[in-house]
Amino acid sequence: MRVILASVSVGILLATLSLQAHHSFSATYDGNKPITLRGKIVKLGWQNPHAHLYVDVTNADGKVVTWEVESAGPTTLMKQGLRKEDFVGQEVVIKGFLAKDGTPTVNASSFTLVEAKKEFVNDEKAP
Amino acid sequence: MTRWAMAVSVAMTLGAQAISIAQAAPEFSGMWRLNQSKSSRAIVGNTPDIQFASQLEVKQSATDISIVATSIRQQPVSAVYKLDGSKVNVQAPEGITETGEAKLDGTTLVITSRRSFSSPAGDIVVDFKEVWSRSGNELTVEKTRTQSGDSSTQKAVYDKL
Repeated sequence: MRVILASVSVGILLATLSLQAHHSFSATYDGNKPITLRGKIVKLGWQNPHAHLYVDVTNADGKVVTWEVESAGPTTLMKQGLRKEDFVGQEVVIKGFLAKDGTPTVNASSFTLVEAKKEFVNDEKAP
Repeated sequence: MTRWAMAVSVAMTLGAQAISIAQAAPEFSGMWRLNQSKSSRAIVGNTPDIQFASQLEVKQSATDISIVATSIRQQPVSAVYKLDGSKVNVQAPEGITETGEAKLDGTTLVITSRRSFSSPAGDIVVDFKEVWSRSGNELTVEKTRTQSGDSSTQKAVYDKL
């Protein structure tokens, strides 16, 4: 009985974590605030359901802000020819939408790795 | 006046009326709901390229057009545009300043607007251009977003409710 209860609890916990990770765009991001960022990728979170790029962006006043960029999942990115080794250290241009909470967080609809001169779309149905 | 001259006069009058009817101002009034299957793929869902409203409430008169654009879990954006193309303030969500103008151009409505807001990256300015056209109970909106020197265009189709 204890084993069953423990299994159910773990299952509920995992389901909750999964739901938190796979939130809807409209709940977290502001579709009225599109933004384009250019910076350098300093860290990568390569996990499902979304990869996260951490990008240092220099503001007009010279201050560097690290942005968290929610991207498509690794599977979608790999289908477009990307590997997790392709990100850190690269200059990137990101097109997306600001988070509603005002933090430096953005949902990327696409991003371009400047050196590769190739745009990667975050459409989950992308080929 | 000769019969020939009268015939020419009547023909010209009828022709002018026909042209006038053909070029009558388009009418966009009504409630319009986004038809995703007929729209560009990258406009809704978790990774939109350009965000379009889920629903448009439009009231048009000879001089104005009122538009209320609503989307799920997003603040509405509304404006009453003068159809002479003069600049008006758009009622945008808190933290956003937006002005725009609208003008009928043949069978289309053209709306241009400039939106500005602050962000952790500094002040952001975005320009939009929308071209509306109607065919029966279908409204097509082609929207171009220009930001940081880069432009993107997507299309949405709405069904009349």
